[in-house]
Amino acid sequence: MTPADVPTAGGALLALAILLPAAGILASFALGGRWPERIALGSAPFALALALAITGEVWRAGRPIVYAIAGLSPPLGIALRADGVSAVMLVVTALIVPAAGLYARPLFATPPDGRETRKAFTFWIMLQAISAALAIVFVSGDLFNLYVALELLTFAAVPLACVEGKPETLAAALRYLLFALVGSIFYLLGAALLYGAFGTLDIALLAERMRPAPAVTAAAALMTAGLLAKTALFPLHLWLPPAHANAPAPASAVLSGLVVKGSFFLTVRLWFYVLPALPAIGFDAILGALGSAAVLFGSVMALRQPRLKLLIAYSTIAQIGYLFLIFPLAAGVHPWTAMGWNGGVMQVLAHAFAKAAMFLAAGLVYESLGHDRIDKFAGAARAMPLTFLTLGLGGLSLMGLPPSGGFAAKWLLLGASIASGQWVWALVLLAGGLLAAGYVYRILAPALARAPIVLKAPPRRAGEAVALTLALVAVALGFMPDAFFRLLDIGRPALATAGLP
Amino acid sequence: MSLLGPILLAATLAVPAAFLAACFVPRWRDEALAWQWLAPVPALLAAAAALVAGPFDLSAPALKLSLRLDLPAALLLAVSALLWIAVGAGVLRAPAAPLDRRVAVSWLLTLIGSLGVFVADDLLSFYLVYALVSIPAWGLFAFDPAPETQRAGRVYMAMALLGEAFLLAAFVLLAAGEPHGSLRIPDVVAALPVSPWRDAALALIVAGFGAKMGLVPLNGWMPLAYAATPIPAAAVLSGAGVKAGVIGLVRFLPLGIPLVGWGEALAALGFVTAFYGVLVGVTQPNPKAVLGYSSVSQMGVIAAALGMALAAGDAGAPALVAFYAANHVLVKGALFLAVGAFSARGVRPGLWSLLALALALSLAGLPLTGGFLAKAASKPLFGYGFAALLAAASSAGSALLMLHFSARLPEAWRYEATASPGPLVRFWPAAALGALVLPWLLFPFVGAVGDALSLAKLWDGLWPILLGGLLAYALASAADRLPRIPVGDTIVVGEAAFARMLRVGALFDRLDAAFSRWPAAALALLAIALALAWAAAP
Repeated sequence: MTPADVPTAGGALLALAILLPAAGILASFALGGRWPERIALGSAPFALALALAITGEVWRAGRPIVYAIAGLSPPLGIALRADGVSAVMLVVTALIVPAAGLYARPLFATPPDGRETRKAFTFWIMLQAISAALAIVFVSGDLFNLYVALELLTFAAVPLACVEGKPETLAAALRYLLFALVGSIFYLLGAALLYGAFGTLDIALLAERMRPAPAVTAAAALMTAGLLAKTALFPLHLWLPPAHANAPAPASAVLSGLVVKGSFFLTVRLWFYVLPALPAIGFDAILGALGSAAVLFGSVMALRQPRLKLLIAYSTIAQIGYLFLIFPLAAGVHPWTAMGWNGGVMQVLAHAFAKAAMFLAAGLVYESLGHDRIDKFAGAARAMPLTFLTLGLGGLSLMGLPPSGGFAAKWLLLGASIASGQWVWALVLLAGGLLAAGYVYRILAPALARAPIVLKAPPRRAGEAVALTLALVAVALGFMPDAFFRLLDIGRPALATAGLP
Repeated sequence: MSLLGPILLAATLAVPAAFLAACFVPRWRDEALAWQWLAPVPALLAAAAALVAGPFDLSAPALKLSLRLDLPAALLLAVSALLWIAVGAGVLRAPAAPLDRRVAVSWLLTLIGSLGVFVADDLLSFYLVYALVSIPAWGLFAFDPAPETQRAGRVYMAMALLGEAFLLAAFVLLAAGEPHGSLRIPDVVAALPVSPWRDAALALIVAGFGAKMGLVPLNGWMPLAYAATPIPAAAVLSGAGVKAGVIGLVRFLPLGIPLVGWGEALAALGFVTAFYGVLVGVTQPNPKAVLGYSSVSQMGVIAAALGMALAAGDAGAPALVAFYAANHVLVKGALFLAVGAFSARGVRPGLWSLLALALALSLAGLPLTGGFLAKAASKPLFGYGFAALLAAASSAGSALLMLHFSARLPEAWRYEATASPGPLVRFWPAAALGALVLPWLLFPFVGAVGDALSLAKLWDGLWPILLGGLLAYALASAADRLPRIPVGDTIVVGEAAFARMLRVGALFDRLDAAFSRWPAAALALLAIALALAWAAAP
């Protein structure tokens, strides 16, 4: 048992954060009918309260909080652990999932006679399953446990992508499932190699015992490649645009805003928490280069899409690319790593809110116009101003213009790349911002033009309110106080290892 | 005073922001739009207070905001606020021209940015207000579906975003070069001369603010945009908006420490721009485009003055340059209003044409106009050598360009797609007189009026105008032999290059199609795994 595995006060909250959605899923199965929807939405305030309580506890303790399941500490038992970033990600999940749920109520309503429909039943249960899986991803301290969470995440996300049952969504979902499973196999192989080499899969114990060995090399490569496939990092993105663009809007919001961040979070856990002792040179450059390629490729492709949802989906590929700059910019113990780390995490948060808001708004556009072809948007912004305001504010964050979380992220990442002398990432960040401005302009400029337009139906007020709120959060992230970044720094591995001999 | 100043400073941004917020509340919207012309009043009061009682500042660490108003900024803030008020009250409030709600929001956002750049005192606040004065301005003209307007809007937006990208890079370098982690502008600029990133930062600063000022080769968007912009918006953008670039250079160039190479390079760029604007401007038939090229030329003179000051290490330059720019705020704003009035065809030639001519020649430094004082203020910056000669020659060029403008002014109606608001005809002479007289009230803050009024100085001001008159006469006889240069000149080249670049996109489509096939994706996955294994190998 390492010091990082000693259970702390408040640790039980972590178990509750997983148990709450899990219990919700079981109850939904048992009760059926209208209950899955009621439980999914009714449990949201409790999930948020729990996430905030965990955040408060981490902030108060000033170090990660730990819980040993069944009182057994690793290597015998399994530890749950939450540092600053996990706590914040729990809060983000507890905000975005219910937002998607609120938006989805009229789309996935149970008929008035209370008869259960396959569509509604699947949607509300899978939404809860995503919460449960993400909760495990964010607080688990064990690589096998994390594998289970990843599988759960995939098996919840794939039905969400094809919940409407249309042939093209089924094909896209199948593609998604197959590629995600290949990724899972790679991850599982790597985890098995690590277990063989060290006899444990507890993250803290592994980090302590870590030493270079051929098995570790193979494990690191396999697990990372598997996770990249699940994160849709270019050039492993083939499944993302069809899956995210064809899913119903609330599902797209959760898939693009949160689900891809799950496997990214694991990649960060792997390299920053398990393997930092590995003298790997060049891995950060490889991940940074792939991320940069993703930024350029995704942005250019977004510029070329005729449909709004496809454009937003390709923009996700670009925005995921930025995330991987955290590897060259926050690795090791240097003066700039705090900046790189905070910038990377801020990018996760800003993109989660901005992209969820934009997918929800895109759904409203589709409902009101009956299509989402950008070249037929003329006059749409006049007819549905709040929806396009949401797209604009989300776009503001994607471009990295102030005030927005996207700007804060870009400022920090740029600062880290200059301070570390890695100019090339700064160029990527600036070019990506210009390209993003290009595709946001493509959405807004035609819509703002003066032209007559006929709406099939006015946009739903509640849907507009939810989407706009998410976009406003993305903007508000630009005003985060310094204390917030201190919270993100709690448990940041470079600080922890810097103190070790 | 100790409390009043900071309160006014906060209100400078808060009051327009409150008007903006009210636009989103249906119950208050109409009231807010009717009274929006009052939004810049706190800024005017703040500027007046700062001029009278010296600089003051305000910092709100919780909002990561710090504001400061010193003499150069107060001069520019005062006249910019006046211009926004005058145009807002005299033109926009007219019942004949009900304000489109989208335009109203763009108007207020641009206004906040335009006033904000003069008071922002830290990198992040400055970047925010600078983005506000640049990007929402697109909405002041680009809602019009006419193809030429749409094109101007695209070019404007591309240039604004390019400038933002340059500045973001510059600001990151400035922040990285400040050893104590301060983001306040005076701190980062003080650290700039010894920063390891000095040259890159300076290049980006000049490129970023130069894009806003229309310095060659980033000049094309300016005449293009002004030609497409309705009169009220063109007046505030050309008058107040462009000065965001001027205050940017004033704030971010390390004036006071001689940087000879950089100073001379900037001065050369400025003079090239000053003459380039005149040369292309005289080929333009549209008076609004002529004014656009005149702005390019005038901003070139300002850049040249700042370059000379940078080379000489002249810490006193900001106030003088700000006075020169303040005169341009008033005159250019009033000139655009004159174009609107003349295009409404309600103006009889005669006395009014004379007023317009005096106003136009103010930009060339016609004695006894405000422009004469502006030349007097900028003169010490150019010294007595070659630069002084070039500066005088640029005045002659301005006179030539402005005479060309005056000749084209009666034809303004041919080029106005949208009818100008009616009240312009009644309102513009007041604006013109204000622009001629106000500089006299402001000059005592930067120099002594008595010194400027000697006979020798009057002659100094007069001969470039006479020379310009001669040139204009020569030009008029050669008018049909002049080349026809499209509005925006080199922007055509930029657009062609951009169109060629777009063709690369097809390559990306093929790449996407290739990686969408399973064998390629599987190979990519294996290749990544192998590359990572190679990197992680012991």
